[in-house]
Amino acid sequence: MEELNIAPSKIEIEALKNVVINIGGIEEEEEEWETMGPTPMPGIADLRNWDYKLLERYKPFYAPYCEMCCFCTFGKCDLTGGKKGACGLGMAAQQARFVTIACLIGCSAHTAHGRHLLRKVLKIVGDREINMGTGINIEAPLTRLITGIKPEKLSDFIPVLEYLEEQIAQLLDSTHTGQEGSNLDYESKAYHAGMLDSLGKEVADLIQIVAFDLPKGDPDAPLVEIGMGCVDESKPVILVIGHNVVPSVAVMDYMSDHGLDERIEVAGICCTAIDTTRYSQKAKIVGSIGRQLRFVRSGVADVIMVDEQCIRADILEQAKRIHAPLIATNDKALYGLVDRTNDSVDDIVAILTSGKEPGVVILDPVKAGEVAVRVVQITHEKRKELVNILTDEEFKEYVTMCQNCDANCIVACPQGLPIGEANKAAAKGDTAPLASLFDPCVGCGRCEQVCKKHIPIVDVILKASLPYVKSEKGMIRVGRGPVLDTEIRKVGAPLVLGTIPGIIAIVGCGNYPNGTKDVYRIAKEFAERKYIVVLTGCGAMDAALYRDKDGKTLYEKYPGDFDGGCVLNIGSCVSNAHIHGAAIKVAAIYARRNIRGNYAEIADYILNRVGACGVAWGAMSQKAASIASGVNRIGIPVVIGPHGWKYRRAYLGRKYVDEDWVVYDARDGSKVQIEPAPEHMLVAADTYQEAIPLIARLCFRPTDNSMGRQVKLTHYMDLSMKYLGVYPDDWHIFVRGEADLPLARKEEYLRILKEEHGWGIDLEAKKILSGPVRKMDVGFDATNLEELIKKNE
Amino acid sequence: MEIPFDIGNISGPENARVAQPEALGRAIKNAKRPLLVVGSEILDDSLIEKAIAIGKKGIPIAATAHSMKGFVDAGYTENVHLTGLHELANNIESRDWMGFDKTGGYDLVAVLGGIYYSTSQFLIALKNFATDPIVRCISIDRYYHPAARMSSGNISRKHTDEFKKMLDSVIENI
Repeated sequence: MEELNIAPSKIEIEALKNVVINIGGIEEEEEEWETMGPTPMPGIADLRNWDYKLLERYKPFYAPYCEMCCFCTFGKCDLTGGKKGACGLGMAAQQARFVTIACLIGCSAHTAHGRHLLRKVLKIVGDREINMGTGINIEAPLTRLITGIKPEKLSDFIPVLEYLEEQIAQLLDSTHTGQEGSNLDYESKAYHAGMLDSLGKEVADLIQIVAFDLPKGDPDAPLVEIGMGCVDESKPVILVIGHNVVPSVAVMDYMSDHGLDERIEVAGICCTAIDTTRYSQKAKIVGSIGRQLRFVRSGVADVIMVDEQCIRADILEQAKRIHAPLIATNDKALYGLVDRTNDSVDDIVAILTSGKEPGVVILDPVKAGEVAVRVVQITHEKRKELVNILTDEEFKEYVTMCQNCDANCIVACPQGLPIGEANKAAAKGDTAPLASLFDPCVGCGRCEQVCKKHIPIVDVILKASLPYVKSEKGMIRVGRGPVLDTEIRKVGAPLVLGTIPGIIAIVGCGNYPNGTKDVYRIAKEFAERKYIVVLTGCGAMDAALYRDKDGKTLYEKYPGDFDGGCVLNIGSCVSNAHIHGAAIKVAAIYARRNIRGNYAEIADYILNRVGACGVAWGAMSQKAASIASGVNRIGIPVVIGPHGWKYRRAYLGRKYVDEDWVVYDARDGSKVQIEPAPEHMLVAADTYQEAIPLIARLCFRPTDNSMGRQVKLTHYMDLSMKYLGVYPDDWHIFVRGEADLPLARKEEYLRILKEEHGWGIDLEAKKILSGPVRKMDVGFDATNLEELIKKNE
Repeated sequence: MEIPFDIGNISGPENARVAQPEALGRAIKNAKRPLLVVGSEILDDSLIEKAIAIGKKGIPIAATAHSMKGFVDAGYTENVHLTGLHELANNIESRDWMGFDKTGGYDLVAVLGGIYYSTSQFLIALKNFATDPIVRCISIDRYYHPAARMSSGNISRKHTDEFKKMLDSVIENI
């Protein structure tokens, strides 16, 4: 819209005839709470300079999942051997375009979730004030950083969502045939989508925290039960699946209002489960996405209610199979069901309990909640006689039927699990091999679709592992939400100096290479070593399933504070915005940097100073792609599991290329050769044993002081020896002087530096004479941004 | 025609030629700068013995995942180099990387004992981007890898002995 400037003058209204005057929104003068930075509400190209800084060092690495392009009717186009498609796009740019689209899908999911939440909660609870309690002044760090807005009430998120939606549309447009042709610019766009994703997540989580009074950074948030074995089957069971908590809140409210809390079980899968327990600790968590098909097949649920994201697309078929009615509550996932939103509750209950329709759509969450509670009490009685787990006879018949042909199931299994061999052993009476498949199985069901003998393999594995399933009972601290400003004040200095060696952020889905226990192992190793371990989503759930020798889960053993040696469940997928938020708060509170509309400077600060590493060990979805890209753009590296190769793109450093590792000293603008810290932005590991030392390596930062570097080096060396049997071959490049060497092994390490790396060492004086890339400088003000030098001048 | 071990893993118009072990062994032998890339599955079924046998033929070994521990436990670390698979692919594609011995890149990569799907992505990355100079990739694994130039066929775990015999034949021809 063009701006019309009217000079102050006297306007004769009486003289006007047949004129309609429209007055737009009246803008209130905003409180000048912080100086506005250079990039409020950045468009696609506004942070391109920062992106290119990252992309020059962490060059995109492509592993095409598909070597063709089939996006338009020019194709299919073969892009192998350096060929371009009919539109002129080459292999690298096509991979980057695909990643951009994946990030946009993920970003859209979180943003649309936020928009949906806002619409619903404004109706349900009204326009509430955003009050995050006495421990939090910076209520929305990403919103402040990216948009320059300081939200004070829920409706203040409306312009934030409008910004997000416009940017998503612009980015999606760029992926249309015949536009962007540079892989690097597509990568910049993927970063942009990732950043938008982080903002969308923050908006969504803050809305639900404020609307439903979820914990506001409570380190002592209560513990709740988790696991397939924690659900009381003797009661009516409502299973909620997805990521949007509003209908589940309505279920809990209806139960509470009608005195049914103790008579009905509400159990959840995926992030709806986490968020429901943030609202009410009467709810239970079955587990992450990998348990979905198995739990549904177990037949425990008497009603299944789904909202959005990470629901099986065939959930209706699976629900029918166990005779449980399905209630779809979100217009993104309707499954061909009849929309009964405007029908009376009595009518809907009658339809579902009579079995006239296998499920319904109810887009009014309050109505959906009432229907679910009323229906479950009836269907529970009707379903009591049903047996969904295989009988012993059926089980034996199926495993005996298997010919161990290895022709179909093993090549259909994404994990390549040896199903035939396990069936063969079970036929001989040994069910242990089959039971051992339960955890590494991702629960996709591809195996049974291809079995020539039509063996229901998922059910067979479930039957064999029933004793394990029944005993799967962990404890998880409910999602605490944001990190407190007061906690940042305490840990800011040790984090930046390195004496708290890092923040390990375990996020993401359940597509693990070898089952859920890897996540527990990773979290436990770093908690024991006094890193800050934060978890969200499926990772937070899966780490809760295991107990130590004293019978304690990680959440019972370690405190929930944001401090070294603590383990925090931050919350659901959208809550992981608070991990970005914590890093931003370090810059804002500890370093007193202005964050408002100042993205590049803060990302530069985090990249060079905050030793954090994301871990998406089971990354599967497009949301995981956008999450990782958002984390990367703000300067935090991410380690993914081996399935993560299939995202097609990584960001890998080359430590042997010296010019990639030069930064400015902002004090005088001099260029400083640094060690590769952090070495990669996005990198996969094959096994948890490989991942753990790699994670420790990615926590090095150029500004570590000597004490901090000692601590980080100690862990890196120890972990490499523990899991790989050798010291890493690159540890010496992180040594800037003898003060960086761990005291306990100083002599040993000096000797190795002398003998294996040819450094000049005075062993007697325990001094390094030559060898390091640079000397430690306590005042070193590392930056990748030229403009920050000017600012200091 | 062989099918990929993960049946949906059909990436493009060109797929690996299924080769006999003798041909695979000769390909390694004829390369100027071959590299054996091994993964965590060599810790199963005593496969590490086969990797060591190849190493003893003078072929440097890139030990990815946590396979290094197996070499340490076996007392063989002579020409075994610790690396990550992702990092290795990135290095192989780079003209700046001078190999583990710092004398130059590799012209042939043979894979053994890696996780199927990450190894497949490793191979497809090299196929498309390790092109200047060209690095040829072969699979001597129990899986058919379509993204390699030549590959052994799928050999089921129940036929592990047969797989080991295949590896012996590869080794004999190096």
